[in-house]
Amino acid sequence: MSSRGSKILTRNPIFAAVGNFKTPPAPVKFHSMAAQAPAAGDTPSSSTATPPPNPQSLPPPNPATTAPSPVKVETPSTDSKVTPAATAAATPPPKPPEPPATEADTIHIPRYSRWFSWDNIHECELRLLPEFFDGKFPSRNPQVYKYYRDSIIKLYRQNPSRKITFTDARRTLVGDVGSIRKVFDFLETWGLINYSGLASSKPLKWDDKEGNKSSSGAASQGGGSSGSNNVAEASGSSKETAKRVCNGCKSVCTIACFACDKYNLTLCARCYVRGNYQVGVSSSDFRRVEINEEMKAEWTEKETLHLLEGIMHYGDDWRKVAQHVGGRSEKECVAQFIKLPFGEEFVDPAEMESKRNAMENNNAVLGAETPSSSLPNKRMCLTPLADASNPIMAQAAFLSALAGVEVTEAAAQAALTTLSEMDYGVSRAGSFSNHAKPQEARLPSNGDGGLNATEGALMEANSQLEKEEQDLEKAISEIAEVQMKRIHDKIVEFEELDILMEKERQQLDQLKNMLFADQLVLSIYKNKARKSGECMEENARSD
Amino acid sequence: MKLLPSSSSRTPVKFRIPTADNLVPIRLDIEIDGQRFKDAFTWNPADPDSEVVVFAKRTVKDLKLPPAFITQIAQSIQSQLTDFRSYEGQDMYAGEKIVPIKLDLRVNHSLIKDQFLWDMNNFESDPEEFARTFCRDMDIQDPEVGPAIAFAIREQLYEIAIQSVTSARESRLSKKGRRGFDYSPAIKSSGISLDLVKYFGHKSSVVRKRKDWDVFEPIVDILSSEEVGALEAREERNAR
Repeated sequence: MSSRGSKILTRNPIFAAVGNFKTPPAPVKFHSMAAQAPAAGDTPSSSTATPPPNPQSLPPPNPATTAPSPVKVETPSTDSKVTPAATAAATPPPKPPEPPATEADTIHIPRYSRWFSWDNIHECELRLLPEFFDGKFPSRNPQVYKYYRDSIIKLYRQNPSRKITFTDARRTLVGDVGSIRKVFDFLETWGLINYSGLASSKPLKWDDKEGNKSSSGAASQGGGSSGSNNVAEASGSSKETAKRVCNGCKSVCTIACFACDKYNLTLCARCYVRGNYQVGVSSSDFRRVEINEEMKAEWTEKETLHLLEGIMHYGDDWRKVAQHVGGRSEKECVAQFIKLPFGEEFVDPAEMESKRNAMENNNAVLGAETPSSSLPNKRMCLTPLADASNPIMAQAAFLSALAGVEVTEAAAQAALTTLSEMDYGVSRAGSFSNHAKPQEARLPSNGDGGLNATEGALMEANSQLEKEEQDLEKAISEIAEVQMKRIHDKIVEFEELDILMEKERQQLDQLKNMLFADQLVLSIYKNKARKSGECMEENARSD
Repeated sequence: MKLLPSSSSRTPVKFRIPTADNLVPIRLDIEIDGQRFKDAFTWNPADPDSEVVVFAKRTVKDLKLPPAFITQIAQSIQSQLTDFRSYEGQDMYAGEKIVPIKLDLRVNHSLIKDQFLWDMNNFESDPEEFARTFCRDMDIQDPEVGPAIAFAIREQLYEIAIQSVTSARESRLSKKGRRGFDYSPAIKSSGISLDLVKYFGHKSSVVRKRKDWDVFEPIVDILSSEEVGALEAREERNAR
């Protein structure tokens, strides 16, 4: 094999040397015959070829390098022999250059598939497709296998620039689709069909060097264009988005994937193991890339909104919160909530209370802004204040969000002043209004101040609130005591009643006893009387 | 699964397609979003079920169909396979059964019409070989005709085999009371099979009568594109 990395050359020194050819050293179209050539001489070497091709084979897609002469002679005749019985007649011995009309190209097959021959079944095939040869199924036997293989390859070679799909092959073959698919896959893996020399540039150079003519030039160009198409395809298809999609099986790679930088491919673990990658790529080209379940993106505004709403509604019930958010698990909700940059506690019942008071006593809806303006801006941006249970609050929150910070502050100020003028403690306990009045007296003086007045008013309001709370507590405790006392009295009464009852019962018992005794006595007397009566009767009778 | 049935076997035989290889004819006719996918092929039921999905994916990818087809195709194949398997354990009578098989198909541009007799008892028959020979003899250029013929033959054989299974079951049920030798009503049940005795009685010869020649001759027509279009339109209308 002198010329190692070339395709079939017409100007082959060996050819030239052996002169008894009818075929002149002109561009000979080795179409389907090309593959047959090395069969005779190459079996020993090719038997070592293993399925994952070595990278070296890529550059030189090489059907047959130097066809020894006798084989060359045979090729045309064997080719015609092999074509099925349709052309039963023996063809004439080596024809002159095949009519260029049929196929102008040479077929490239990779070097590791050089064992292929139309006549024989190579041991590779035996090894990789055992089900055809072990007699388990009557429908799978060597003849059938050969028929499938030959027809698929012929079908492909009718139009080598186009890849045939499995469905095309399947439709033209009589037989069960499972077997056809296996043969098809086998042939494709080994580059006997759908193989386009990816690095077809090399042969081109070689051709130029050798000074070869149209056929080889055309062939390599054809090969080159299909090769470049293929490469373009490959790169296009292998373009990776954020998600890594496997080129082989078009599934999303999750856990780990193998990336091949040489040809910019990505394969999922399964495809890599199965060897489901393009021909010409070896397993050593891939490196392992670990991909964890890298979760989805950050939380969107909407989701954060939902989250806060949910928290407001459901408090600690994270399950419901997660439901409300929709699409996030509980843990994520919690994690996100913790991460939210809040300056202070989100929900403050005291402030809610003050808001509600303001609501009740104030026409100006925007009075609610008092506490809200004191909170960090984050809260303002979020309208989860829209507590749906209180529509006024919802409105307030909405308006506050709309209006912006300064506006709400000003509104709050104005609201406070009106607040102070109105009767603040009307709906509360009466004691509260006493507190409120001195406050009111104080407030108007400071009312037209700036923010300080607002704050002062806020403080007053807070202290009043506290006092009110204390009063409430006291009242509650008093009530509780009263209730207890009542119950206690009741218990005492019941005890007395109980004792009375006992006494009566005892009396009753005594009476019963006496009655019983009386009855006894009576009955004794009766008996006595009767007995005496009987005695007297007896006496009387006996007399 | 090769069986050698006795000449007039009344004993029931396990169900299978009476050919050398036990392949199931699968027909697909799926319509999604206005896209119609029709196909027919043979499947080897001994293949693992994972093959179904692989095949469906492959087909969808090759034909560039929308991916919704994958599940539909896989489901359809699976259901047909399970149908087949449900028959598989049961018995069928393999009586004297010579059945006529009719071919009437249109594949791309070829129209095939034929009729011939087939021996249901011959468990070594091979529709694929028949199809190959047919194409070779009739010099059919279109390679898709062969599989279509094989499929048609298989389908008809499958139908007949199913019938025999159901008839066997019925006869068994009806004969529940009677024990003993069960004479098979196979001849009665499969009305389409010919009685060889009648056919090839001592009076008549084996050579077919002249008037039957036309019926039993294969006809292969190559249609032009317009005719194909017309036929397709008519088929669609009939289908609705």
